[in-house]
Amino acid sequence: MTSGPKTNLPVGSAAAPAGSPAPLPLPSITSGGPWAARSAGAPGSPAPSPAPATIRGSGQTLQSAFIGLFHGTPGRMRLLAILGVIAALLLGGAAANAILASEAAAERAANTTEQVVRMQSIQVDLLRADALATNAFLVGGLETADARAQYDAAMAAVARNIAAGAAAQPADAKALGTLAEKVQDYGALVEQARSNNRLGLPVGARYLTEASSSLRASAIPVVAEIVKANEARAQKEFDRSNSSIQLLAGVAALIVLVLIAVWLARRTHRYLNPSLAGGVLLLVVGLVVAATTIGNIGTTTAQVASGLYRDAVDLAHVRTAANDARANESLTLIARGSGQKYQDAWVANDKTVRGTLGQIDDASGLTSDWDAYAKAHEQIRAQDDGGQWEQAVELATTPEAGGSSAAFNAFDEQVTQRRDAASAAAIDQLGKLGGGSTVWAALIAIVSLIASWLIVRGIGQRIKEYR
Amino acid sequence: MKFLSRRRGRGPSWSMAAVIAAAGALVLSACTGVTYAETPLPAPPASSSSTPAPPATPVTCNNPTQSYDPLPSIPSSGDITDASVRRILDRGHLVVGVSADTFLFGARDAFTSRIEGFDIDLAKAVAKSLFGSESKLQLRVITAADRIPLLQKREVDMVARNMTMNCARWKDIAFSAEYYHSGQKLLVPRDPSGKVPNTRIEDLKGKKVCAPQGTSTLDKLRTVSGVEPVAAADHTGCLVLFQQGKADAITGDDIVLAGLAAQDPYTVVSSAPAITDEPYGLAFNKEDVYLTRYVNRLLADLKADGGWKAIYNRWLAGHLGPAPAPPAAVYGRGG
Repeated sequence: MTSGPKTNLPVGSAAAPAGSPAPLPLPSITSGGPWAARSAGAPGSPAPSPAPATIRGSGQTLQSAFIGLFHGTPGRMRLLAILGVIAALLLGGAAANAILASEAAAERAANTTEQVVRMQSIQVDLLRADALATNAFLVGGLETADARAQYDAAMAAVARNIAAGAAAQPADAKALGTLAEKVQDYGALVEQARSNNRLGLPVGARYLTEASSSLRASAIPVVAEIVKANEARAQKEFDRSNSSIQLLAGVAALIVLVLIAVWLARRTHRYLNPSLAGGVLLLVVGLVVAATTIGNIGTTTAQVASGLYRDAVDLAHVRTAANDARANESLTLIARGSGQKYQDAWVANDKTVRGTLGQIDDASGLTSDWDAYAKAHEQIRAQDDGGQWEQAVELATTPEAGGSSAAFNAFDEQVTQRRDAASAAAIDQLGKLGGGSTVWAALIAIVSLIASWLIVRGIGQRIKEYR
Repeated sequence: MKFLSRRRGRGPSWSMAAVIAAAGALVLSACTGVTYAETPLPAPPASSSSTPAPPATPVTCNNPTQSYDPLPSIPSSGDITDASVRRILDRGHLVVGVSADTFLFGARDAFTSRIEGFDIDLAKAVAKSLFGSESKLQLRVITAADRIPLLQKREVDMVARNMTMNCARWKDIAFSAEYYHSGQKLLVPRDPSGKVPNTRIEDLKGKKVCAPQGTSTLDKLRTVSGVEPVAAADHTGCLVLFQQGKADAITGDDIVLAGLAAQDPYTVVSSAPAITDEPYGLAFNKEDVYLTRYVNRLLADLKADGGWKAIYNRWLAGHLGPAPAPPAAVYGRGG
């Protein structure tokens, strides 16, 4: 439509150029009178350049016919009918599109939420693996089969989530590739630590601390960056899911239609034009339906964003900090008197855990579980600081109740359950938003077509009456 | 309507329709797809080649092994009035900074998790003498670079961590009489022929040689031109770098290198003679002259009554043969 208004379309013989091949632009046709007559009169004939000739040549007659068509009051009415149809279609298109956009954003929000959860799981599992490896190291080469199995499970989950994450979000693929590399390095160092420990060689301890520090220095920052990027994406999709702003185009179109109706009423002194009014009414209904549908999607996503999604993210942060704390507890003991920096890190983790739990509704159970672990940790510190290193290690490694392992595992299990429940519910609610709304979008599109017909019919009546 | 009826001719109406249509097209195209920017990677950490501290200005003296005179005899702990020793006795245990990864001198046994070795036995002897029990001892694992600061901050009472007595260190801390005589050597890859190579440090031009941070070994290494020094937290850290191919050789005291060689059958201590003398002493806070004299008495007794020999044989005889005569103590330092 961009060049439409200024071009003199061959209205009278509209069929003529339709079937002819696309015209090749000729370098210079200055005056094409005879050409034009021929091409207009003989449609489909292999005229060298029908189109430009037609436009230029038949200008005199066609232009006058065109002017005639839009001349005077009936002409204006015709124009307004066209304008009305455009407005109706625009309204329908904008409304349908806004619904589909909201729906698509909600779907993307669900997918991104899933990715956030996945990436956070990688972060947690890495720290959990490290906590297990460092803790197992405290008991020498004799780690329990159970601890070993838990470490293997955590690393396996990391590998699976990296692959799944790269498939789900291509924008993460490169970063995940780097992460996979770092994770492999970490796993290799842990294995070397393990085999050296098995041989009773002190170099095993060094490999383990190398593994731990390389994990924290190179792998964790990458995964933290991926988590951050996905959290930002999810937030953006939550915001996008309310695309009511697009409905403003529909409102503008509606105003145009109302103005047309008013003009028509004034000009013809007939206040009610049933067809036109019906068309406008249909469009109003469509617009309201669209606004409601989008409003519903927007409200639900906003609820999920500030409720379940927030909880899932916060609980994952809690779990990350908790597992980091557990690794720091072991590292403090491994450093044997020189581990103040790990204990400082533990205190920072403790603060994060408590602070984040404070933001979550109904987290008192979790807080008391954490308190139980923190108490066991304090005991360990007291023993170690009092020169009772071996008793401290015993407390930190025993699977029996009373040690820090049992308390920590109880807490970790609770947090994991809560987080999994919250994230599954968030993804489920967002996923449900699709489906029904697509039908509404289709219906609104159909309604706008019907309304267009009604508008043409209504104005057409007035044109007839005017004659 | 005024604004519509006033416009005569078709132009304006058409262009308005065009504008609306174009706007509609824009709105529609605005939400056809979403592409995300690629997830950024964290900025690479500033290259970890920690700019090594400039080599300490060499301090020279002719008596690095000279310590304070020993007490005439070991006093009963109730009679001790010296404030530092009193504080240790009142605390109820001795805090000793040790290594946990120097095989044979101070290393953690992976199976028992106990730290054991030549240095540890000396620490136990001091604890036993002060408290009557070896178990009144808290071992604190420290790195070589921690040794002097922790003594100065009095976070440890004594350091028993294969520490070389030298003139520069005497400025900051005090040493007992010498209890072991070592020398700086090289750990190199084993020769396929099975012959022990006699690589000297000068032969390693252009190669990376590792030494622990904060040691006299590293200072010495930096004076050798053409060798690229690589620092690690401790000797075992050097072995990790060596096994990862990030270092071509390790330099350190002969006995430390023997401990590393015992952990990696692909390495061997070069047969070239030691490039330095490394007299080991127990280290104390500079102010703790009384404690140093106390320990000197204890060391002298151990050397005389066969205690030193027993400790040597327990840890080193298997690698170095039966105990030689203990290093002679040099006393008479003023203070």
